[in-house]
Amino acid sequence: MAGVRLQHLVKRFPDGSTAVSGLTLDVQAGEFLVLVGPSGCGKTTALRMIAGLEVPTMGRVLIGEQDVTDLPPGDRDVAMVFQNYALYPHFTVQENIEFPLRMRKVVATERARRAREVAESLGIAPYLARRPAELSGGQRQRVALARALVREPAVFLFDEPLSNLDAQVRAATRAELVRLHRRLGITIIHVTHDQVEAMSMAQRVAVMHEGRLEQCAPPMEVYGTPATLFTAQFVGSPLVNTISGRVDGSGGRQVFTGPLVVPVHATPGDATLAVRPEHLRLGPAEGAPEATIVLVEPLGAETIVHLALHDGTELRARLPGNSTMEAGAVVQVSVDPMQALVFDAAGRLAGRGRG
Amino acid sequence: MMTDRRAVRWGLLLSAIWLAGALLVSYRVGAAAENALAVQEARSVGESFDATQRPARTATRYVPVAGPIQQVVRVMTRLVGPAAERMREEERVLVWRTLRERYISVPVKDADAWDIVGAVVVAANPVSIPWIVWLAVFGSGLLAAALLRRGMRLAATDRETAPYYLVADGIAVLAIGTAVSALLLRGHLEDIALRLPEVTAQTRFDPMVLTLPNGRVVALLLAGLWAVCTVGLVGVAWLASPRQSVATRRTARTAWAFLAPSALHLLCFTLGPLAFTAWLSVHRWDLLEIDRPFIGLANYAELVRDPLFWKALRNTALYSLYVPVTMVLALGAAVLLNQPLRGIRVLRAMVFLPAIVSYVAIAMVWQWIYHADYGLLNHVLRSLGASGHDWLGDPATALPALMVVSVWVQLGYQMVVYLAGLQGVPATLLEAARLDGANAWTRFWQVTVPLLRPVSLYLLVTGIIWSFQVFALVYVMTEGGPTRATDVLVYQIYQNAWEFRRMGYASALSWVLFALLVGLTLLQWRLLNKRVEHAA
Ligand SMILES: Nc1ncnc2c1ncn2[C@@H]1O[C@H](COP(=O)(O)OP(=O)(O)OP(=O)(O)O)[C@@H](O)[C@H]1O
Ligand SMILES: [Mg+2]
Repeated sequence: MAGVRLQHLVKRFPDGSTAVSGLTLDVQAGEFLVLVGPSGCGKTTALRMIAGLEVPTMGRVLIGEQDVTDLPPGDRDVAMVFQNYALYPHFTVQENIEFPLRMRKVVATERARRAREVAESLGIAPYLARRPAELSGGQRQRVALARALVREPAVFLFDEPLSNLDAQVRAATRAELVRLHRRLGITIIHVTHDQVEAMSMAQRVAVMHEGRLEQCAPPMEVYGTPATLFTAQFVGSPLVNTISGRVDGSGGRQVFTGPLVVPVHATPGDATLAVRPEHLRLGPAEGAPEATIVLVEPLGAETIVHLALHDGTELRARLPGNSTMEAGAVVQVSVDPMQALVFDAAGRLAGRGRG
Repeated sequence: MMTDRRAVRWGLLLSAIWLAGALLVSYRVGAAAENALAVQEARSVGESFDATQRPARTATRYVPVAGPIQQVVRVMTRLVGPAAERMREEERVLVWRTLRERYISVPVKDADAWDIVGAVVVAANPVSIPWIVWLAVFGSGLLAAALLRRGMRLAATDRETAPYYLVADGIAVLAIGTAVSALLLRGHLEDIALRLPEVTAQTRFDPMVLTLPNGRVVALLLAGLWAVCTVGLVGVAWLASPRQSVATRRTARTAWAFLAPSALHLLCFTLGPLAFTAWLSVHRWDLLEIDRPFIGLANYAELVRDPLFWKALRNTALYSLYVPVTMVLALGAAVLLNQPLRGIRVLRAMVFLPAIVSYVAIAMVWQWIYHADYGLLNHVLRSLGASGHDWLGDPATALPALMVVSVWVQLGYQMVVYLAGLQGVPATLLEAARLDGANAWTRFWQVTVPLLRPVSLYLLVTGIIWSFQVFALVYVMTEGGPTRATDVLVYQIYQNAWEFRRMGYASALSWVLFALLVGLTLLQWRLLNKRVEHAA
């Protein structure tokens, strides 16, 4: 078990595209870090550089205290679970799991013992004699996991290992991964673009955008205090409400003015107000603007209401499941000032609302 | 639903009874007929020859023969000796016309085999052909009626129309069976005619040399025919069944329309010749003669006994060993040329080039390379201080020399296939292996090679199939020599057909080759169907 340190990692491909531009990230030993970001933001590339499958254009990769930037993948003591599992189709499950041990010249009896142990802990012992093609997606995923675990590597790298599973198996596997992490205390870097995965599994979430790190913090902090407007928008569903306007005033008496007016603590200038859908209030309020209900989505436990302000700004509100709202109705909209966030023109967090 | 299923059950039951009955009857009748025919014909023909021994008797004799198929054997001989009457022109009926004429005549020659002094005429009266035609017409009419009344599939299973179908099926089988037995009879007669010993004063005729079609074979043939007909009819019915939607049927019709040209081509240029060679292989045909007497499996029997055939088979098998050798080289070349280097495409094209050049041209170039006196190879060897060698003239090196040429020709093609195969090996698997600690060598042997198994199998089996058909190289470079060291199957077929004018024997050889190739192809199917599954 060891931590991973990425220092100013840059990856530029021969065709000139830059996948990762200056990524610096510290992963603690034994930490479960989830790397999220929109498609094409460089998550896989970063992971592959850690694994050694991709040579960084610039920057260093450290595992534990050792600089592994120039080491081949086999010598880095990292294991990776690929999105498509990359099981060897011509080997049985047992041979697949034993393969990394065989490459490290572990004797056959020891190999078999360890493979069986791991297979049993993951519940795939009955399938040891089968070939990958004869397994379900969830079972294959476990075999890939077993093949990574059996080596007892310093760091685990997961590249969207759950995205090919159906919803139920995915939920079960998610929980199982977390349990596994707790039990073994291994260092895991897990790439996904599924927010639920990120929020539910991570000890810390690292949000990437266009090859850069936007924020790296525990899930609730990323959700509640996003460092950038991008992060605020990327994390959370439905999408966070953004209202553009200005912050005026000074000396602790600033006010955000736009379609909505909210008292804030923030540096003056052009700004964007971000409010989570659950912090939007619908109903009579003094001086609150009116909005038309465009669409009501009852989801059972909650109801999502889409609204439009008179200037065209679209808003989403998350209400309890039993709310009765009708499309076409006009309601007054206000926000909980304590929960409002203010981002400056560059998209950085510039302050928040005050009560 | 219920009635449908009951009808199917009834149909199946009736079919089974019919099949069992047909088998039983034709087997019994066949066996009895075999005996009766053998005895009767042997006796009658023997008698007639007895008669010829006594020159006084010159009359034409009719010998009736009883059998499953009504038949009359007329033996007609004239005086043997100087006083012999000349055979009349209209009696010299050629064997190959006999199905129409319904009799055959075999000339009987005098003691010094010079003059034709008479003829043995064997006349057959199988079921007359018009009757067969009418049967067929009637049968297809019934079928068509059944078809028009209900859909085909229903026709076969419906209680109302199943009788039509069964009767029509039966009639069709009967018609085809009769035609087949007529053909068999004809073959049988031709065979008798062929085997009649030449009549001389010295010859004693041994009636037991007469062979007859085997009753069991006839029974099996008829039963097989019935089965094929039934399966075919039901198959067609199923295909044409109304279960398919109109759109599907329209698609099928369109597909057939597109397939028709190639199907026609297949019929004319593959199946037709195939059937013709099958027919030829049980006949003797000298190319220059019109007579193609039926000789049963004699060609095949000769082939099995012929040491030259075994030599050619051995040479062909040895020659095919070049395929695995080429595969190893091709895989190596593919791995080398799979690098993203500048100019790699030109290099690939160069390696591929021999595969698209005419074999004859290649053979001529290599003939020069191998030439004992002014060949390139010997020239290089001599300039290196080694002594030259007559590569194609030495039985020990001729076949390996041909194999080297084949390696050179096939290398490019196999390499291209391997290149495609290499590109199909998932990169993530190789990356996973790298992470698992496998070095390049291990990755190649543990991941790449096993994943290329289907490609390798394909190359191996198709390569061997091709190698069994080698001809141009042998024809141009060695003509099967020296001392038949490079005599291969196809070359032997060619020689027998066009040099020795033994078309029947050549056809039998072709069928042996065909059977070998079909076996190899089936093997390939079986092996390839167990292909490596790439995990999703
Ligand atoms: N081998 C390559 N050559 C050139 N460009 C590449 C290569 N691999 C990735 N890229 C580019 O680098 C960028 C980042 O790719 P990467 O695969 O790391 O994204 P990702 O965050 O994993 O996306 P996703 O969530 O869709 O998997 C993309 O714009 C991609 O087009
Ligand atoms: Mg990716």
